[in-house]
Amino acid sequence: MISVQYVVALAALLFMVGAVGVLVRKNPLIMFMSAEMMWNAAALAFIAFARNYHDMSGQVMAFLIIGTAAAEVGIGLALIVAVYHRRHRLDIDEISRLKG
Amino acid sequence: MVGIFIIGILMLVGAVSVVVLRQPVHSALALIGVTIGLAMLYFILQAEFLAVAQVIVYAGAIMVLFLFVVTLLTAGKEEMEAEDTLPGQRWAGIITGLVVGLGLAVVIATHPPAKLSTALSGSFGGLHDLGHQLWGPYFVMLAGVALMLLTGVIGVLVLNRPETVNYKSRLDLPSGVSLVDAEQEGKK
Repeated sequence: MISVQYVVALAALLFMVGAVGVLVRKNPLIMFMSAEMMWNAAALAFIAFARNYHDMSGQVMAFLIIGTAAAEVGIGLALIVAVYHRRHRLDIDEISRLKG
Repeated sequence: MVGIFIIGILMLVGAVSVVVLRQPVHSALALIGVTIGLAMLYFILQAEFLAVAQVIVYAGAIMVLFLFVVTLLTAGKEEMEAEDTLPGQRWAGIITGLVVGLGLAVVIATHPPAKLSTALSGSFGGLHDLGHQLWGPYFVMLAGVALMLLTGVIGVLVLNRPETVNYKSRLDLPSGVSLVDAEQEGKK
């Protein structure tokens, strides 16, 4: 029997590392990878609870998360490339100048 | 059971290296490690189709896209991380993240969810069950994700379209002065 609580605890730790990455790093690419880890942690928690309660709904949610993450990566990387073409620096604070 | 701990430790090492490593290429490679660890956990948790989808979509498609962009933007450069504009931002972020994350982890590890005594059905996690759910009660969400992917494709096309607006004439800059130059002048 699998002890699901440890898997969910691992998901929480993965989410924590991703959140710290988004808060601490200033390279937009690495911030984006950390955000990907947070998506993955949520999907892992869904799948762990689906296994525990024998309910496929959790796996459906994880599937939708994977699809959403794919769309998000496309848009996010396009935004990073567009900002880099204007500013020629990889620094998230460049975008704060958008406020004028 | 031991396997979960080993995979978990490997995944956490990979996750920390994503955040800590200086070069974005190394971070991307560490993230591939995390992704494959996740796929193994999905297999252990009887989500066979999702494990395969995770490897194909993340390790196959998303990480290749990441590596393309990383090589496009950072080839041959070694930039130091910029200075913090907000003092103490780094430590505030680390402490907030640690408190919230460790709190969540401790709470779930000490309060295990109730276990069901019934046996798991043999087809649990297979493509057949997942397809029935997606095409039945969750069809609206599936259609929403499909629309979102379509919107994402159009959004990427719009964001990377060639420049058609002539900024110079709009700002009445003398010819030969680009917008970036004018901005640098303005800052001085």
